[in-house]
Amino acid sequence: MSILVRYALARFASACLTLFCVALLVFAAIHAMPGSFEDVMVPQGTQAMRDVLAERLGLNKPILEQLGRWLSQVIQGNLGDSLVTQESVAAEYLRRLPATAEIAGLATVFALVVGVPFGIFSGLAGSRRLVSQFSRLGGGLAMSVPDFVVGAVLLYLFTRYSLWFTVGNWVPITENLIGNLRSALLPAFTLSLLGIGLIMATARHATIGVLGQDFITAALARGKSPAVIVRHHVLRNAGIPIITILAIYSGYLLGGTIIVENLFSVPGVGRYLITGVLNRDYPVVQAGVLLAAFFFIVLNMLADILYALLDPRIGRRRG
Amino acid sequence: MAAVAEIDSLVLEFRSRSGRVRALDGAALSVGDGQRVGLVGESGSGKSTLALALGRLLPPNAEHLEGALRVNGKSVFELDHAALRGLRRHELGYVFQDPIGTLDPTMRIGRQIEAVLAGTGKTASIASLLASVGLNDVRRIVRSFPHEMSGGMAQRVSIAIAIAPKPKLLIADEPTASLDASIRSQILDLLVSLCAAHGMALLLLSHDLRAISRYCERVAVMYGGRVIESGLTADVFGRPLHPYTEALLRAAPGQERIGGRIEPIPGLPPVLAGRIEGCSFAPRCTFAVDECRTRRPERTDHGDRSVVCLRATERADAMAGVPPA
Repeated sequence: MSILVRYALARFASACLTLFCVALLVFAAIHAMPGSFEDVMVPQGTQAMRDVLAERLGLNKPILEQLGRWLSQVIQGNLGDSLVTQESVAAEYLRRLPATAEIAGLATVFALVVGVPFGIFSGLAGSRRLVSQFSRLGGGLAMSVPDFVVGAVLLYLFTRYSLWFTVGNWVPITENLIGNLRSALLPAFTLSLLGIGLIMATARHATIGVLGQDFITAALARGKSPAVIVRHHVLRNAGIPIITILAIYSGYLLGGTIIVENLFSVPGVGRYLITGVLNRDYPVVQAGVLLAAFFFIVLNMLADILYALLDPRIGRRRG
Repeated sequence: MAAVAEIDSLVLEFRSRSGRVRALDGAALSVGDGQRVGLVGESGSGKSTLALALGRLLPPNAEHLEGALRVNGKSVFELDHAALRGLRRHELGYVFQDPIGTLDPTMRIGRQIEAVLAGTGKTASIASLLASVGLNDVRRIVRSFPHEMSGGMAQRVSIAIAIAPKPKLLIADEPTASLDASIRSQILDLLVSLCAAHGMALLLLSHDLRAISRYCERVAVMYGGRVIESGLTADVFGRPLHPYTEALLRAAPGQERIGGRIEPIPGLPPVLAGRIEGCSFAPRCTFAVDECRTRRPERTDHGDRSVVCLRATERADAMAGVPPA
């Protein structure tokens, strides 16, 4: 069996185990929350009404039986139906995915487009230059101010003075591109701030680290210009820590979208998930967390593949 | 003989948060066209700083305070950036200590060599270049990454990269220090034969005095940021005029007689904070007199040899009648 196949199988097995553990945890967590679905749905009604509801949805069965039923459903590829709407959870997540993917994707692009050049420039410039001071201060600020604070400030600013952007009127990209951007840029920017800070700091440190390597001195000694050295040597070698931080940032995005979607009323998966939590809509919450974990695992696998592409020493390590 | 590199009274300091360190305190050295010159001295004596200064490759906290440094008649510290890159590209070649570390770990060897050939404007095929440094399995080597090669192969590749533009001066900073003893002489043989074949001068930095005496016609001994003795290798090592040269030779393994002892030099080399009045070697010198601690020795010529020692003439006269050691 080739090394690659064995490696892929091992990764697949560990991904399955992770997903199983996540499934158990989220099931336990949502069922342990005070108040069950029928309490939330029929708060004023009699106990008899609640019992009928629980009976009909199978919520009165022993908890382990419910767990077993859900797990076997999931293994067959069925994420179940929402308790509230009685419609497929998977279909609803799929319908809401584009909005979330768009703001998360835009946030990642902002973070890279701003973070990488500023980080690398400030790494090249040395610590006393203006660009370094700016990126250290700005990066620190971007990382330490919580997204809901930034979001609230933006929300206030742009609901008062529209300034081209719209707040709370989500326009799908299929409907109107300009209208979509007007509603998507603010939430994406809010989400990107932490990423900008993280990537800037990482790119800066990575650049300083690469510049101290012997092969940079050797390239300078061969008369290479700074531009060529950055293009040929710094970008590639500083790429690995940047990809690592990007994978970590994607984990943050999974949670960050929930807050930002609620702030800016974006009809994405995060809002669906939080509504599910408030309603104790068990299948919605369980499926949402499981999907988030699945995405995180896939993104980390992608990062591993990118490492191997960037640094030949990683891909070929044996044993 | 025209000099390819001329260094005179070079003073260079490094600024740091804890103060200044004077790495070169009036160093002087001349490398003639096609000459092979060895540069020896303990760690911290300023050898590497001097070697890097030739290409102005010093870190940004280095400050050039005084003195002239010319390569092919060009004053290196006065060149603008473009001219400096031209000088590094066409007239200087560097070979460093850690061969694998001087190659980019993320690029195949073939691409790294191509990048160098593209910059020189001279046409040499990768294959003939690799063959000239004794690497024949070209197909495999160009596809390799640095970590897939042995240190000796990687050093041959860095030598190939350094000589590709046919520089006037090749500077090798301890090129064999990280290699197996068995291939050290192969690498040095290769360096010397390439220099001879292309008419390049060689500045060889090394701790290995035997290698220096075997490969270099001239030698310069550094201590405390100055070249304290320089001349023909046979003269300098045969009849050292400076007490430090003599101590260095006694401390070197391989020269002692059977049953004899290696004699380490007592004390540590100095770390200078600024210009030093008096001789920097005086505290460790067995020949030192009171004047050595207060009067700065200047360079004196004794035949073909230069010495920085107040008592050099005295010692030269005393040695005149004695056969070489």
